[in-house]
This record gives sequence, C-alpha cells and structure tokens, in this order.
Amino acid sequence: MSHRRTVRWLVVLAVCLFGGAASPPDSSTPAADQKAFQDYFRSRFPGVPFADFANGPYAVDAAMRKQWEEIMQFPPYDFALDEGKTAFAVKFANGKSYADCFANGGIGVRQNYPYFDTKTGDVVTLDLAINRCREANGEKPLKYGTGMMASLTAYMAETSRGKSFDIKIPDDPRAREAYEAGKQFFYTRRGQLNFSCASCHVTAAGQRMRGDILAPAIGILAAFPIYRSDWGSMGTIDRRFTTCSAQMRSVPLPPQDVAYRNLEYFLSYMGNGVPISGPGTRP
Amino acid sequence: MKRFVVFIALAALAAPASAATQAEAEVALAAAKQAEAEAAKYDNRWVPAEAALKAAETAVAQQAWDTAVAEANKARAMGLRAVEQSKEQETAWHDAVIR
Repeated sequence: MSHRRTVRWLVVLAVCLFGGAASPPDSSTPAADQKAFQDYFRSRFPGVPFADFANGPYAVDAAMRKQWEEIMQFPPYDFALDEGKTAFAVKFANGKSYADCFANGGIGVRQNYPYFDTKTGDVVTLDLAINRCREANGEKPLKYGTGMMASLTAYMAETSRGKSFDIKIPDDPRAREAYEAGKQFFYTRRGQLNFSCASCHVTAAGQRMRGDILAPAIGILAAFPIYRSDWGSMGTIDRRFTTCSAQMRSVPLPPQDVAYRNLEYFLSYMGNGVPISGPGTRP
Repeated sequence: MKRFVVFIALAALAAPASAATQAEAEVALAAAKQAEAEAAKYDNRWVPAEAALKAAETAVAQQAWDTAVAEANKARAMGLRAVEQSKEQETAWHDAVIR
C-alpha cells in the first residue's frame, strides 16, 4: 500500500471514529451564536425590519398587528405605568429611593439588564436589582411576576424605549458559564409535551399555536413587562417563563431561579440591537 | 356438586383480580416519590406526574388502596420518563442550536 493510500485510509478511519452520528459539542462563542441567531431570523422573516422584532407576534402577522394598533390607542398597561412612575419616586423609610440604586437614577437603563455581576458571580435582572435595592434600604422585597414589580419595571422600561439591548458577557468564566446554562435551557426539551423554548419560538415562530401567533425568539423580551389579555393583568418575564413551563406540562421553577435568570441573560444577549419597546401588550 | 364447583369458579373469575393492600399502596407511593425526586434533580418534574402523586397521597389518606396504587404507578411511570428525557437532552439539545 502506497504512503498516500495509507494516509487516505487513516483519514477515513478518523472520520468514522470521531465524526460519526454524535453531534459535535457546542464550541461556538457567544458572539458567533448571536450572529447565527440573528441571521436565522433575518432570513426567516425577510420582510421584517430588525427593530420590529421588538413587537413579537405583531411583527410577523399583519392581522394581529392591525388589532394591536387599535388596542394601542388606549394601552391597557397605562394604569400600571402610572402606578410604577409614582412608586418609583416614593422615598424609602431611610430617605433614599430607587434612583439611588441605579445608574442614571434608573432612567433609560432597561436595555442593560440583565447583566453579569462579577462581584456576586450571578446574573442580575432588573426585577432582582429592584428587590436588592429595596432590601439594601431596609424595605421588604416585592413579589415577583406581577403587581407592583410589573408596574415598576413598566415605568423603567418606558423610560428606555428605543434604546437597543446592550447585554455584555464579561471576560469571566462564570459569566460564560451562566450564558451557556441559559443557552442549554433554551434548547432543552422538558415537560410532558417534550417541548423546549426553541420548539415554539424558533421552529414554530410566526405560526399558530391554537389562537396565538408564536413570537420569534429574537427580541422577545424587549416588550416586557406586558399586559396580556389572557391574564387580564400585567406580568413580568418571570410570569411569562413560569406560564411557558406550565404550558409544556413542566412544573415551573420559582421566579428569579438561577436557571430562569440565565435564560433571560442568553435570550437578551441574542436580542442585542433590538430596541426596548416595553411595556407591551400581548393577546 | 359439579354445579357448585362451576359456580365457584365463575364467581372467582368475575370478582376483581385482587384488591390492593395498604402495604402495596405504600410501596407504590414510595416508588413514585423516588422517581419524582429524581426528576426534580433535573428540574424536570412533569405537571401531570405531580398531580398523580398528590392523588395517590390523597387516596392513601382515604385508605382507597386501589386508587392509590394506580395513581402512584402513573406518577412513577411519568417520573421515570422525565428522568429519561432529561438524560437524553443532556446531549440532544446541541442538535437544536442555531448555527
């Protein structure tokens, strides 16, 4: 056997041994993931301007968009917005306020959340930051998911409208770990229905699930918190995650669970460049 | 006598196979709880599995052993499937990633 032939056989053998049926481990970088993710949705919905992905299902369905435009003449989140604005300005018992806890007094900062805190080593969402602010000032934390938490985040989102998601993954292995955990959560099937987040918001994005149009995953968090007609009230990202879990017939995790925060970190990073549009409305 | 033997045999066939005992119900419930605890390690408890587990616990409290065994077995089966799903997904999720 000639030398060249031997080499050829070795190459074939190596491909059989190492390049077989098993999928390759995911060795891509967050930046490469983001590019692939955004390119996928751009080519999947070529008629949708990138910024319009902030509007979820209304970006991809003309009939729903028309209904939404009419709803927006009297936005159902207005009461929550007013409540949040008032509550944001109220001082704590120690004389301080929310503004003391956030950059720029908490105005126009939604697009930077969640961020990875290199001191605490965890992902900090806006909701978590609000409660950490309260606790640091001797106040009781708010209940996650709805109520005042939704109102406060609605106000903070509203002051950030038009600013693009600008989520950073610092050069810290723990940040990368949190990002990867969020990515794994997004693509992992769970629950009796054997669904993942991606099943609905990637594979079936833009299609109907019973009466709903499934929003594309890109920029899906830009409109939160939302007034959802199905709920008849406001809800935060926590509320949406727990509802999605239950709809997959999977027991939801507690709000602000590390897994949910990591998921929010991954999804928000994927949506970098999509402008904040919250608070929003959904069917 | 012959008729009596036939009657007894038919009666035995018509009766329920065997009513579950308290011990059987408790064993089934323990197995279901173990399967659900395993699924919880993967953060993947299924809603209907939890519902079946609760129904089994309620049935035990009411001494309805047959129901308890049936519900516990249902919960265990779903708990085991959830664990299987989670183990499979530990690698399978990579296939879904947008590249």
